[in-house]
Amino acid sequence: MTPMIPIIQTKDLILRGYLESDFDAVAAFCKSPRSKFVGGPHDRWTCWRAFLAGVGHWTLRGFGMWIVEHRETGRVAGRVGMILNDGWQEPELGWHMYDGFEGRGYAHQSVKAARDYAARHQGLDRVISYIHAQNVRSVRLAHRLGAAFERDVTLLGHPCQIYRHPSALPTQISNGVTT
Amino acid sequence: MIPVIETQRLVLRGPEPEDYPDFKATFSSYRSRFMGGPLNKYEAWMLYAAEIGHWNIRGYGMWMIHDRDSDKTLGMAGGWSPAGWPERELAWIIWPGEAGKGYALEATHAARDFFYTQQGWDGAVSYIDPKNLDSIRLAERLGAKKDHEAATIDGNDAVYRHPSPARLRDGQLADGIALEINHYCDPLFKPKGFPVD
Repeated sequence: MTPMIPIIQTKDLILRGYLESDFDAVAAFCKSPRSKFVGGPHDRWTCWRAFLAGVGHWTLRGFGMWIVEHRETGRVAGRVGMILNDGWQEPELGWHMYDGFEGRGYAHQSVKAARDYAARHQGLDRVISYIHAQNVRSVRLAHRLGAAFERDVTLLGHPCQIYRHPSALPTQISNGVTT
Repeated sequence: MIPVIETQRLVLRGPEPEDYPDFKATFSSYRSRFMGGPLNKYEAWMLYAAEIGHWNIRGYGMWMIHDRDSDKTLGMAGGWSPAGWPERELAWIIWPGEAGKGYALEATHAARDFFYTQQGWDGAVSYIDPKNLDSIRLAERLGAKKDHEAATIDGNDAVYRHPSPARLRDGQLADGIALEINHYCDPLFKPKGFPVD
């Protein structure tokens, strides 16, 4: 009973749909101060709602956030993907990296894979990311991904910033070769 | 994927994207005060997406109740079981403008029957705010009884235990519910000015 959530394989990670057994990892992040830039920390019920909503989003929008599984350990390293909740100005490329999976390039690897997929298969290119100005690590990742600050906005009543990603579609080169 | 249930006046289908505005309207209103509301649009969206995700993760969930003739939505009913809850719940909510017509009774009775006969449930409870008198009344009309011993969600709710599959098969209770539903389908009196919220 899972909506058609595609699987993406990268060097170290697997982006896939949701299993009930993923909930503990999602809740651990959601309940911890690590989630302070994405609306948390939350109580267990709100974490559960967010977990189920992560699945339901795919049915409602045809795209959503993947569970990022770490190949080597099988553990859940985070969630990445496209988000368009009620109140969002446009589809957002979002990422949550869980404790223990930072600083190894996994965020970059998984977010780039999600961004490429969204551009090629979901019609979502030159997408935005909403980032809290004090979320230094995410700002840095956005820059590494080639995204640029666009403007200050409010999201759900909180100030935040829009970063705009470059096109992730293959570029047409003059000799007709596609890269 | 999500099974469809048909009753005399209703069709129960999985929640669909186009039903969201109706859900949001009720969950943004005072009507949802016993279901954790009123919610802002972000919370309403997350809950709606979660209603759908519940089907994927649990294999059961809440149906959207549609009027058979017009197909308009009337509310939701079905099974609900967040992580850490003591038991599986039968839950319902009817949009404020549609209350008082027996839709929750008809839909929940059908949903319970589906879980009992198709999914092997051996019972269910409903967690109800003690101030939610309409829902307590409905639980009792469905044959549920207050269970003082059962674990609650957070101590602020009363547990109503639904009759077992055997007791429902037994006749009298199910006949009584069917009789009441039939009366709603073909009422002798059609009171005006029913729901109050």
